[in-house]
Formats: sequence, C-alpha cells, structure tokens
Amino acid sequence: MSSTLVSNMKYSDSLTVVGISICTAIVCEAISWLLIYRTSSYKSLKSTIDKASKKLETMKTTDPNTATTIKKSKTKKIDRVESSLKESSRDLSMFKFKSGGVVALVLFMVFGLLNSLFEGKAVAKIPFVPIKLVQKMSHRGLSGDDMTDCSMAFLYFLCSISIRTNLQKFLGFSPPRGAAGAGLFPMPDPKSN
Amino acid sequence: MRERKSVKFNLQKQEHQNGHLSPFKVAKLFDPDATWDKDQLGDVLHWIRQSLALVCGLLWGAIPLVGGIWFILFFLLSSGIIYAYYALVLKIDEEDFGGHGALLQEGLFASISLFLLTWILVYSLGHF
Repeated sequence: MSSTLVSNMKYSDSLTVVGISICTAIVCEAISWLLIYRTSSYKSLKSTIDKASKKLETMKTTDPNTATTIKKSKTKKIDRVESSLKESSRDLSMFKFKSGGVVALVLFMVFGLLNSLFEGKAVAKIPFVPIKLVQKMSHRGLSGDDMTDCSMAFLYFLCSISIRTNLQKFLGFSPPRGAAGAGLFPMPDPKSN
Repeated sequence: MRERKSVKFNLQKQEHQNGHLSPFKVAKLFDPDATWDKDQLGDVLHWIRQSLALVCGLLWGAIPLVGGIWFILFFLLSSGIIYAYYALVLKIDEEDFGGHGALLQEGLFASISLFLLTWILVYSLGHF
C-alpha cells in the first residue's frame, strides 16, 4: 500500500535521489576512513593543528598588564606558531588530496548514473523562484519556463552538502577548526571529494 | 619508541578530554555558569541549527509556505535563536570564542542546505 502511495506521488523520484545520496555519503565516508582518517599520519597532523590553534588562541589573549618588550617577543612567537599551523594545514590538505581521488571517482560515477536516470525530468518542486544564479543549476537540463521545477543536479547538490556535512560531523571526521580554509561556509571536507 | 608510546597515550587522553568520549550532561545546555570548550560550543550550535532547519523545513513544506520571503525568515529566525541561546541563555563572552561571526556561522551552510532540502521534499511530496 505504501509503495502504491509513493508511486502515485508526482515527484517520487526525489526520494530516489535522496536515497542514493545517503548511500553515496555512507560509502564515501567509509572509503575516506579507510584511506585517510584511520592512518597515523592524519591523526598526528590533526592533533598538531588542534594543539597549535589552541596555543595560538591562548597567546593572542591580550593582557593589559603585560610590558611592551614582552609583547614584542610574544608577537614573534605568535608568528612562529601561525606559520607552523599553516604548514600543518597545508600538509593535511595535501595528504587528503592524494587519497581523495577514489572518493571523487565514486561521486562522479554516481552523478553520471543519476544524470542518465533523470536527465530532462523535474524531480521536485521548489516552493519559490530561485535567483538567476541558482536557476542555472536548479533548472539545468529542464524544458519550459517554470523556474520552480527542480532538476536532479540541484537536489543532489543539496543532499550532498547537508547529508555529508552532518555525517562527517556526527562521525567526528570534520576538519579541525584551526585548519586554514575552514571559512565562513564550511563545506563537506573538500579533500574527501 | 617509548616517547612515541607516551605521545600516543597523551593524544588519546586529550581526545578523551576533548569531549568525544566524555559524558555530556543535558543540564549544561541551559547552565549559564558552565564553562565551554570552543569545540564543544561549536558542536552544540551546529546541531541546534540543523534541528531548526529540519523543523522549519518540515513545517514550511507541510503548511505549505511558498515564496522566497520564507527562506529569508528562516535565516533570520535560526540566527536569532542561536544568538539568543549563546548570549542570553549561556551568557558567554563571544570574544572568547572568536566573536559573533564565528559563533553565528557554525553549521550555517549545512543548515541552509538541510532546510531547503526538507522544505522542497515535503512541499513536492505533500502537495503534488
């Protein structure tokens, strides 16, 4: 009865996209764990970054009673810790980049599969008209002028960001906060893509 | 070899103390006198944002609420709740945690994506 209900829904294909995205996210994180997260190199780099960023925070806390001469030497120490942090972050990125190729291949193949299944088909309805920039993705490959029709690409994009970011967070695989590049909008760990 | 083992032990001990394995009391979430580690607070704010995104997406899609204004409303509502939580409930000094920007952006992008995903799915499946 439930399968009849689902198949009667006009946009039941959206559930297929979400289901495949969830499975892909799990597979990608499993591959990342195998190739990246369980290695001693990754663990030691992450620990180094955590320690350095915490040390940097402590050193940057200003003390009004500190003499000027002491502040100058402190500035030099801060610079040293900062460059060490940048170097460790760069090493971490390089390390993940080398191992992330397999995950990138899986994502590419899954996107290709979804594209072949749903090309030219609206898989969902957006409850508002997106801005022009977003329409390039949300209306990708769709015919007609109804900009509230949602393409597979846009739905897959939303699934990837939300599911993978939260899965990484839940499993503790998010990049350390002190790492360079953890900016305003932290994406799912890009080097795992 | 011995140094490596002691470093490894210290790393494991630090991981344990970082909160990944230590018990997390729910009461701490509403205690203005509690002390917060930057990572712990960041994680709490992240998950609060995701919960808000899920709830709002389900509600907006079920009613349904249609129009871009509701997206802006969600953004303002979730940011307002996060701000009220850390400033009024926890009463923390944002300067100790990187400022308002750092706290407000915790989990922001993921929550926007999750909200849009939930809103679109519930709207599409429930009303067509």
